[in-house]
Amino acid sequence: MKGTKTKTLEEIFHPSTTLRVKSGKPLFMAHMIAGYPTIPESVQVAKALVKGGADIIEVQIPFSDPMADGPTIAVACEEALKKGATVAKALVVIKKVATFGKPVVVMTYMNPVYRMGIPKFIEAISKAGATGLIVPDCPFDTQDGWSLLATCKAAGIALIPVVSPGVPKERLKTLAKDATGFWYCTTRQGITGATSVFASALPGFIKTMRSISELPVAVGFGVKSRKDVKDLSKVADIVIGGSVFVATLKRSKKVLIVEKTMRSLIG
Amino acid sequence: MTHETFGGAYVPEMLWKTLQDLIAAFENAKKDKVFQAEFADLLKNFSGRPTPLIFAERATKRLGGAKVYLKNEGANHTGAHKITHCLGQGLLAKRLGKKMIIAETGAGQHGVATATVAAKLGLECIVFMGSEDIRRQRPNVFLMERLGAKVVPVEYGSKTLKDAVNEALKFWMENLDKAHYCIGSVLGPKPYPEMNRYFQSIIGREIRSELQEREAKLPNAVIACVGGGSNAIGSFHDFIKDDVRLIGVEAGGVGKKVGQHASRKIAGRVGIFQGYKSLFLQTDDGQISPTHSISAGLDYPGLGPELADLYQEARLELTYALDKEAVAAVDFFAKSEGVISALESAHALAEVRKVAPKMPKDSIIVATISGRGDKDLFNFARAFKDKSFRDFLKDEYERY
Repeated sequence: MKGTKTKTLEEIFHPSTTLRVKSGKPLFMAHMIAGYPTIPESVQVAKALVKGGADIIEVQIPFSDPMADGPTIAVACEEALKKGATVAKALVVIKKVATFGKPVVVMTYMNPVYRMGIPKFIEAISKAGATGLIVPDCPFDTQDGWSLLATCKAAGIALIPVVSPGVPKERLKTLAKDATGFWYCTTRQGITGATSVFASALPGFIKTMRSISELPVAVGFGVKSRKDVKDLSKVADIVIGGSVFVATLKRSKKVLIVEKTMRSLIG
Repeated sequence: MTHETFGGAYVPEMLWKTLQDLIAAFENAKKDKVFQAEFADLLKNFSGRPTPLIFAERATKRLGGAKVYLKNEGANHTGAHKITHCLGQGLLAKRLGKKMIIAETGAGQHGVATATVAAKLGLECIVFMGSEDIRRQRPNVFLMERLGAKVVPVEYGSKTLKDAVNEALKFWMENLDKAHYCIGSVLGPKPYPEMNRYFQSIIGREIRSELQEREAKLPNAVIACVGGGSNAIGSFHDFIKDDVRLIGVEAGGVGKKVGQHASRKIAGRVGIFQGYKSLFLQTDDGQISPTHSISAGLDYPGLGPELADLYQEARLELTYALDKEAVAAVDFFAKSEGVISALESAHALAEVRKVAPKMPKDSIIVATISGRGDKDLFNFARAFKDKSFRDFLKDEYERY
C-alpha cells in the first residue's frame, strides 16, 4: 500500500503477538464459521486458510439471525447450528485455531455474548487465545456496548468497529476514541457476500478515516477474486475475505480446497 | 431480575446516520403543526377514525360480571390499527425525501397497510414476508400486489415474521438512500418503539374520551393482544398513570414447550436482537427460539421494549391465550356481538371471557380488537372444520 506505513501485526494487536509481516504488502484476514461444515472440519478449514497464506483468521460463532450477513454466510450458520454448533463448541474451535500461529479475531452477534454474560464471554475467548472481537450489532455507545468495551480493554482484546462508506466523519471521530485493533470497513453499504461492487466513495471514505485515526484499515464484503484483492490493496492495510470461502465449501466436500481458494486470492 | 434498560439502538454503524435523521424528523414532526394537521386529516378522512367503542351488551350479560366494551380498531381502513403508524411513518418518509417504503409483515396486515399508504402517498413499496406466512395469509399477499407493492418471500430461518424483519433490515442497509423502513410494531432500534407508540397512542386517548362520554369514568382494565405490542401500547399508554389494570395477552399456542407458543411471560429472557434490548424467546446459548401461534401477527419472539419496561415495573400484567381459546373467542363475540375479530385480537377477547366474570358488575373492561377477521377467513374455516367451505374451495379451484 502506498503512502502510509504498513502496520505490523504486532502494532495492530496485543503486544504478545510476535508475528511480523513484510512491509509494503497488505495482510489478509480470512473468515470462517466455527462449526461449518462441521465442528472438526472447521478446524481443518482454518488450518488450510493459514497454509494458503492468511495472516489473520476471523472465526464467526454462528447465531440464528445474523443481520449483517448475506445468504451465503447466513445459510451456512443455520446449517452449523442444525448440526449442533454451540458457543461452547465454537470456543474449542477458537482454541485450536489459535495454535496455528496466526492471530484470531472472533466475530459474532450481541445476543449470544449477552446471554453468556459479557465478562464470562470475554474471559472465555481470551483464554481460548483470541486477540480481537467483532460484534457488528453492538455500537460502543449503547448500554451494553460500553460494558463490552470496558471488559475488552481490561482483557487486552481489541474491540473492532465495523464501519461503512456513508458513516459521517463526526461519528468516526466518536468511534475513534475507543476503537482498538483495526477498523473493519465494508466495501459498501449492505451485507456480506453479494456482489463485488465496491462503493465509489470507498477510497475517499478511507482517506477520511486515516485523517482521524492511526488504526490500520481492513476492508471486506464481496471480495471474490485476485483482482478484488489487488484493487483493495491500493487503499487497505488488511483485505478481508469471507463468503468466498464459505461458497467454496458449499461447492466441494473437500474442506482442504479452501487452501487453494486462499492462494488464488493473494497470488 | 435486576433492573434493565430496555430499548436502545443495537444496529450496525451503517444505520447510525439514517436513524439520526429519522429521530430528527420525528422530533420535528411532533412539534410541527403542518405535520400534525396532515396526520389528523389522513386518520379522519382516509382511515376513518375515530374507531367505535362498542358496548358489548349481550356478551356482558352472558359473562355475568364487568361491563365489556370493545375498541374496534378493525373498523380502520385496511381492517386493523396498523394503518395508523404506517400513515405517520409514510409522512415522515416523504419529509426525509425517501422514494420507497419497505416493510416486514407477519399476518399481512402491516404489509397491506404499508402498501395502502405507499399507494396513497405515491411511494414505491416492497414488503418482506416469510414464505410460511405467505402460505397462511395468501389473500393479503394478493391485496398487497393489487395495491402495487412487491411482496418478497423470505425462505430462510423459520420463514415467519422475525425472518421477514431480518430480510427487511438487510435490504434497508443496501438501500439507505432511497428507502424508509416502516417497521410494523413498537420494536426495533430507537426511535421506532417510541415513534410507533406515539402514533398508536391515539387508541388509548379515544378510549378515554369515548368512555368518558358514555360512562363518565375510567375503565378498570384495558386488555389487548401482544405480539410486538403496537396495539397494546397504543391502548395502554394513555392510562399508565391512572388506576387502570393493563393486561397484555400473548400467544399461548398449543403448549409451553419451545416452539409451541410465543409467550415471553412463559419463557422470555433478556436479550439483544433486531436492534433493541428486551425480553426474547431464546435458548441457553442465546439463539433465538422458534415460536408458534395460530395467528401470524403474534408469532414473534420479542416484546416491544416499552412494554418490557412496564412489565418489569409490574405496571403491565402479561398473560396468554391458547390457539383454541382464541378460536372459541372469535366465535363467542361473533355470535353475541356481531363482531368477527382477527385471530390476533381474539387472544385479548379470550382473556375477557376469563376475567369479566370475576369482576364486579359496576366495573368496566375495554378490550381492543386490533383487527377484523376477514383476513382469517380461510384459517377460521379450517379451525371450525367447515366442510362446505372446503367444497367451495374445490369448486373455486375448478372454476379458476
